[in-house]
Amino acid sequence: MTDIKHHAFLFDATRCIDCRACMVACSVENNIAMDKTRIWVAGIGVKGEYPDLQRGTMVYHCMHCDHPDCMSACPVGAYSKREDGPVEYNPDLCIGCRYCMNACPFGVPHFDYDKGIIDGAFIDKCTFCPQRIDNGQEPACVQTCPTDALVYGDREELVKEAHARIAAHPDRYIDHVYGEKENGGTSYLVISHIPFNELGLPVLPETPVNAVSEKVMEVTIPFALSWGAVLTGVAAGVHLYNQKKEEKATAKEEAEAIK
Amino acid sequence: MTQTVSRRDFLKLGAAAAGALAIGQMLPPKVAHAAREAGLLNADGDGYVHSMCEMCVWRCGLIAKVKDGRVVKLDGNPEHPHSRGNLCPRGQSGLMNTYDPDRVLTPLIRAGKRGEGLFRKASWDEALDLVASNMLSIKKKYGPEAMIFSSTHNLSQPQFENLLYAFGSPNYGTQRSLCFNAMITAFSLTYGVEEPSRKYDDVKFILMVGRNMMEAISTSETGELSRAIDRGAKLVYLDPRFTKTAAKATEWIPIRPGTDSAFLLAMIQVITKYELADCEFVKKYVVGCDDLPREMSKYTPEWAEKITGVPAATIDRIAREYAAAKHNAMAHPGWRTSNFINSFQTERAIATLNAISGNVLTPGGCLSAEIAAESDGALGKPPQPPYPRVSALRLDGAPWKYPLVPLKLGVFQELRDAIITGEPYQAHGWFISRQNPIMSLPDRAKTLEAFGKMDFIATVDIIMNDTAWFSDVVLPEASYLERYDPLLPVGDKAFIRQPVIEPQGEAKSALWIYKQLGERLGLGDYFQYEDEEDYIRQQLKPLGVSLEEVKKKGYAEMPTEETDGEITFNTPSGKIEVYSETLKNAGFSPWPTWEEPPAPGENEFYLLTGKVAQHSQFGTQNNQLLHKYSDEPRLWMNAKTAANMELNDGDWVEIASQAGKVHSKLLATEAIRPDCVYMTPGYGHLSKGLKTAYGIGASDSAVHVTYTDPISGGQALSQTFVTVKKA
Repeated sequence: MTDIKHHAFLFDATRCIDCRACMVACSVENNIAMDKTRIWVAGIGVKGEYPDLQRGTMVYHCMHCDHPDCMSACPVGAYSKREDGPVEYNPDLCIGCRYCMNACPFGVPHFDYDKGIIDGAFIDKCTFCPQRIDNGQEPACVQTCPTDALVYGDREELVKEAHARIAAHPDRYIDHVYGEKENGGTSYLVISHIPFNELGLPVLPETPVNAVSEKVMEVTIPFALSWGAVLTGVAAGVHLYNQKKEEKATAKEEAEAIK
Repeated sequence: MTQTVSRRDFLKLGAAAAGALAIGQMLPPKVAHAAREAGLLNADGDGYVHSMCEMCVWRCGLIAKVKDGRVVKLDGNPEHPHSRGNLCPRGQSGLMNTYDPDRVLTPLIRAGKRGEGLFRKASWDEALDLVASNMLSIKKKYGPEAMIFSSTHNLSQPQFENLLYAFGSPNYGTQRSLCFNAMITAFSLTYGVEEPSRKYDDVKFILMVGRNMMEAISTSETGELSRAIDRGAKLVYLDPRFTKTAAKATEWIPIRPGTDSAFLLAMIQVITKYELADCEFVKKYVVGCDDLPREMSKYTPEWAEKITGVPAATIDRIAREYAAAKHNAMAHPGWRTSNFINSFQTERAIATLNAISGNVLTPGGCLSAEIAAESDGALGKPPQPPYPRVSALRLDGAPWKYPLVPLKLGVFQELRDAIITGEPYQAHGWFISRQNPIMSLPDRAKTLEAFGKMDFIATVDIIMNDTAWFSDVVLPEASYLERYDPLLPVGDKAFIRQPVIEPQGEAKSALWIYKQLGERLGLGDYFQYEDEEDYIRQQLKPLGVSLEEVKKKGYAEMPTEETDGEITFNTPSGKIEVYSETLKNAGFSPWPTWEEPPAPGENEFYLLTGKVAQHSQFGTQNNQLLHKYSDEPRLWMNAKTAANMELNDGDWVEIASQAGKVHSKLLATEAIRPDCVYMTPGYGHLSKGLKTAYGIGASDSAVHVTYTDPISGGQALSQTFVTVKKA
């Protein structure tokens, strides 16, 4: 349907006016309950002292990581990564363990404490509006944005666009495209006039967190087995020692009794 | 009157309204009959329908997605010049107005005391008969002028006015004097145009005086401004608050409230004294250009510094930058310009700055004397007899007390004194449509007192707004997604609003309600249309386009008027009147001039008002989606001022003026001048029929004092001074 190889978002904090049209659009498009949301406003808000003020806010939802930590952490395979970008979540498989919530460096997956296993979906997060993008439409949040703070397109093109904007106005932007490399790359790219940590974004290494954890996971079983062997040996040693100690004590008692 | 405010727990609301979006599912789905017949919806009620937003007066084009006869999503129409594919948060949430669980879906007749909230359901026949008989008996006993009609800007307003003029009352209340009277009267007198249109394509320098475009969103214009800033245009923004527009401005100037015109006059002084404007060209079209330097000579930047608190060097620099941008400079006319009794002069100075930059006269200029407002001249309309002659004075004082206020604008806030005193005569009835004067007018206690003087009050609305709550009859209107309205021309197209779903319950369109009422009042000849579709067909007749085509496309093409290239202005001289003989003859200064407004006393603050992006005035606080995504309304106070007063962020405070007292939570913030406080308007509702909005925030209208600008009739909404103390 579309010629987009890798669906992605570009968020420009200098253009966002914090109107929240994206949040309402998402809620309606995806029929989100009144006490839930899939998009949040983050950032420091107003910064400085009157009258030297600056404002920094960001809207964010699932970053659709290229190496999703939620997916690595999920013990039942409820998460999957589409080849063209979106990170999908299957509520039918979810057992509500909430490992993904702990794993996500952006705090995106949210647990629904009101729902039981029979009611389905425990976890909620942005789906990338597959019902729209697979029909050639923009995601709901992007389509409605009055100031083009959020744009949608092919990731490669958007990375280029982000760098072009920074190059055109080096005085305006911090020279960095957040998400280009963070956590091994995300499909939600951010450029900003204020430091990214002030927008609420975590400082992350380029190596995806789950690349480390998965490496660790690879050696877990051999490690556990060998560690088990060591512990068994230690236990045997302790037992032997105790046995000898007991024998000694008994001998001592016997000797004292003789006295 | 004191009011205590408690914000409901967000989760509590959430639980009560969980899945409230699906509320429509509980009602039997009614597939919009007309849309189905036009082939826009299939037999299951699925499809897309073009229509028009009504969450504010910008009226973006929308495309509604309908599933099983329910509207499930609204997207901006890319073909509409006001939306260009986007909708603001209010537009996105529009379907929640339609599916609001608090909708009034049958006619209601009051069954208890006024304001008690006890109503009984009635049939349309009974309710309309009751309204008509009351109106007729008032007309018979006291004359037609004893009936007041009031309505806020909407598409069926031509038929509302038709009802008013046919009935024969001069008493017409609109929201305009609470909003843009200053801008419209100033630009009408100076340019002969109510509201010049703005062009951002080539703009290089934008001066905005309190036009909070990033929060008071006009979707397309907000986008254009944002893109202009992105391209590198300079935005200088005057506002005592660090709004979201201030955050995007190149330069934010936290000017002292009420002194904008001093700043602007000093800019004019610099530009004219140093001959920075291209006067040769401009002189041909501007009356007063020669004498302007002399008239402005006293308004030096040094003089303005003392008044505004802005350094003279800054004013001088900004004037030079503005002049250097020539016709690529724009001094934005603003919108809600009802701030101080001198707001008319502020607007006159803005009009003058534009005139001397040549931006209205030069091709490619950023302001256009084309009428930005809707003009339906090319459309047809139903035939009707002439209106009866009206000889009674208007109770709001236009024009006998306010000679320069156009009658269609009026001086709404002045009505109440006339009602309370019975001078020059006593009003007895009030017919209100799509308006909430109890919330919108300043000094709410006075509005309620005026309501108490009424023998009969009827209100048309989609929900139980505060005014409906105090009415005798409530007539339920179909929401904007459920009804037709007259076509609206925008540029070279006339756009349609058509039913996306069938009206829920017994709700009916305003076109239907006014016609039914007109017939019962013996005024049937003024309403010569069979139904809504017939009305639109009569509008379309001169264009030779069928209604069916318009329903599919969403609009009809309009003929474009050929202009001969000669620039003339609709003023007595045919030129731009920086010097206005009309003003002089009415006893006012013919030049833009400085008028000192009052200032707060010791321990008092300026009480500012202004918009948030999630709400439109007083009508959207009950929309659950907007409630969900808007900030808790609190009283803003400068953080240092608050600390000096030993007030903490989150404290409950009492805000008191000579008009009333309210309680609110405090927001201690750096984003406001130390001598100001700010309240978000539209909160503190009285109607318990608004279950989401009731109990949230405090009403600024309850503390606003009534002050009227003698020239434009505008209410001075920022001229109320308040004290703040721990509640």
